[in-house]
Amino acid sequence: MLLQYATPLTFIALGAIFAYSFYAVLIAGQLSLGQAGFAALGAFSGASLAPSGDDVGEVPALLIAIAIGMAVGALAAVVLGLPTMHLRGVFLAIATLGFAEAVRIVLLNQSWTGGAQGLAVPRVLTVGMAWTALAVVAYWFWRMARSRYGRALEAIREDELAARAMGIDVGRHRLTAFVTAGAVAGLYGVLFAYYVRLIAPGDFDFVAAVEGLVTAVVGGSTMFLGPLLGSGFQTMIPEIQRAVGIEAGWIRPFLASFLLLVVILFLPGGLASLLPRRRIRMPASPGRPAVGDPGTRPTDRRHPDPGETVAALTGLGKEYGGVHAVRDVDLELRSGEVVGLIGPNGAGKTTLVNMISGLVPPSSGSATVLGTTVGRTPVHKMAAAGVSRTFQHSKLFNRLSALDNVLVGAHLVSRPTFLRRLLWLPSARRDEQAALERAAGCLERVGLAELAGTRASALSYGDQRRLEIARALASDPSLLILDEPAAGMNHVEASGLSTLITSLAEDGLTILFIEHNVGMVLQTCTRVVVLNFGQVIASGSPQEIAADPVVIEAYLGTSDDEADPGSIAEGTAADPTAGSAGGTSAGAATNVHPSAAGTLPPPDTTPRNAT
Amino acid sequence: MQQLLNGIFIGSIYALFAIGFTLVFGILDRLNLAHPAVFAASAFVGIELVERGGLSLWAALPLVFVFGGVLGLVIERLAFRPLKNRPDAHFAGLISSIALAGMLIALLQWRYGPDTRRFPPGSFPDTRYDVAGAQVTLVQVVILAISLALMVGLTYMVTRTRLGRGMRAVAENPTAARVLGVNVDRITAATFAISSALGAVAGVLFAINVNTAQLGMGSAIELKGLAVIIVGGMGSLPGALIGGLLLGLAEVFAVQYVGSSWRDVIAFGLLFVILLLRPQGLLGARKVREV
Repeated sequence: MLLQYATPLTFIALGAIFAYSFYAVLIAGQLSLGQAGFAALGAFSGASLAPSGDDVGEVPALLIAIAIGMAVGALAAVVLGLPTMHLRGVFLAIATLGFAEAVRIVLLNQSWTGGAQGLAVPRVLTVGMAWTALAVVAYWFWRMARSRYGRALEAIREDELAARAMGIDVGRHRLTAFVTAGAVAGLYGVLFAYYVRLIAPGDFDFVAAVEGLVTAVVGGSTMFLGPLLGSGFQTMIPEIQRAVGIEAGWIRPFLASFLLLVVILFLPGGLASLLPRRRIRMPASPGRPAVGDPGTRPTDRRHPDPGETVAALTGLGKEYGGVHAVRDVDLELRSGEVVGLIGPNGAGKTTLVNMISGLVPPSSGSATVLGTTVGRTPVHKMAAAGVSRTFQHSKLFNRLSALDNVLVGAHLVSRPTFLRRLLWLPSARRDEQAALERAAGCLERVGLAELAGTRASALSYGDQRRLEIARALASDPSLLILDEPAAGMNHVEASGLSTLITSLAEDGLTILFIEHNVGMVLQTCTRVVVLNFGQVIASGSPQEIAADPVVIEAYLGTSDDEADPGSIAEGTAADPTAGSAGGTSAGAATNVHPSAAGTLPPPDTTPRNAT
Repeated sequence: MQQLLNGIFIGSIYALFAIGFTLVFGILDRLNLAHPAVFAASAFVGIELVERGGLSLWAALPLVFVFGGVLGLVIERLAFRPLKNRPDAHFAGLISSIALAGMLIALLQWRYGPDTRRFPPGSFPDTRYDVAGAQVTLVQVVILAISLALMVGLTYMVTRTRLGRGMRAVAENPTAARVLGVNVDRITAATFAISSALGAVAGVLFAINVNTAQLGMGSAIELKGLAVIIVGGMGSLPGALIGGLLLGLAEVFAVQYVGSSWRDVIAFGLLFVILLLRPQGLLGARKVREV
């Protein structure tokens, strides 16, 4: 009974293993077609270097070949990965495809591979062995899914830049994913060789690579069972067709392609989306210490003492092709301060915080943030130093749940759990639980506890902004940078946000935030810095700023140049939020020029270098 | 000299094929992997038109052009439009176009069988010219002329006409284009139609050049097309032309001086070096990522 199905069952296992090598990189959002090349290298080197079965026994020979094949596949992935990891999307796909084709042609022209005739290999692999190997590979990816490493890969897939800002070393993670793919592809190559008896370089061509990719995508590239389902689907369709007696040569490929089209059009998550998915739940809340308590700090990293310098900027400037977005800014942030950064559109506010958080290197001047020199330090290192931020346009991991988003935020303060999860060590479970507790605490802090299981993309705009703050908080930062956190919030939400910021500052966080809602800034901040045309034009307490004639002029223009068609004039008409925002703070309206309430600057929609 | 001319002839076909590829990629940011199937299908249809329909070679070309256009509309409607709002539209479009290509090839197999097909004897004029000691057939000259004319026409259309302006607007920002009253769906469909029509003509010209049509001819040129659009710069029309000619010449000279089995290594070696040194290609513009 089983023997009759041995061949298709073995091919399902082989196809699934190959598909896993695509899954390994798809999960990190990389499209690679080089796996056929890795498989070919693994297969030929494994089969020709391993001792013959007569000397050491068949199974040990296969195991040695597997070890060689996986090592060669992984090595090839490193060699190919180091120069190509900076490529994205289709470019990476085509570069890796070029590599695979080159490998194929080189192998075809070598004598030790047998060239086009191929290399004879004994058949050692049985159904049982194939499925054992598959089980090991599937287990690997299953345990990876809920580990810190697996979450980091998913975060990179969803939004690379945000992943970087959460302290994830994107280059290293992408490379390890790629090397995993290389090793799994090498495994496939060797197993394939020891099953089909004769391998030729043509077995690992473009068509084979596309088939592997199709299998992985049809099965579903976001869930570990996907490749297995895809392989079952792809292998069984011809078998079923044969069983029901469809014989004509063209109908089979036609139906197979048609079903593929149907799956891809109507099952966006692949076949795996048909399976029920277990969602992680919020841990029960009672008795959880509040996030931010000094006692619950999860890292050893020292937070600066109150009043200590957190960031020191001297003569910092940024130039975009002759346009000075930021010019000669001197600024010092001290621990415990809440600094508001305001200024008209294009004043250089976002460029300034991008420099502070390491996203954009300054073109002149220098800055030290939490002991780290800004400029050559990569973004994830800045995050590790204790800088955490939100973005002007929400950059959430859209297809992950709110809770998972925050868990990614806790990347820096949780310990790696993948390898320990493979061995089911209880300490991994404890660490995961601790990260979960922390994430849940952060969600509660911003008031999103009920929405923990909701996909980030399904949240309302205001909730997305709050989720970003929760995610930024999860890394236990010393300096929190918020880029227009209240944009799109109504005045009730905005004043809730203001309360939250104040309470975070009471916990010892230093907060720098950009905001156009001047009323809220004046109400919340201990200090306000005003930028215009890339330069600091005023800095001081909210009261001083509200009364400063230079600031009023920058915002409103003097009566003389009211005819000047500047952004302020356009903004007055275009900004629908101005009225309500001004209404939140009567103090601001009276302190500033009488007409200020109606003339708050519009949301920053112009490019940051458009001064 | 003979090699140089051969390289230019084959290169112009590669360029025509790749221009269709790169048009869709440049404007819609999608890689249409059904393009090679259109290439193969139109070669078979072209042969059928000449053989059964009794048309002359040159009368069949416009019909194939139309055929390709219709096929392009079908591809857009079935494989791309249903996916356009999905977050993974890029991957999904790749796969759905592969699926559609599989269906097309299966239909070809049904209609024409698995064997190689040729034009009926006597369909080609046997006029030959001597150019600086090299032999050139009239057919080759016409192939070159048609390829160049189509490419020039396309460039004119993209840069000067209303449709072309719409295409460039969609390429820049589909949402903004829609807000400004550009019918994005229609532009998308038109792009696919034009792209496929060019691929179809390239298919027939290729079949004329080597006087064979095979089911696998599409996948054979697919890799070359990808290489050409990378070398030339993704989405760049003149880049695809230059890349195609470069590839044609590289191949011909590689066969001449290195040996035929190493031909493709040179193409992919070139591709690889370009990707590493200049990922945007020879004439491509690098898109700046927004923060």
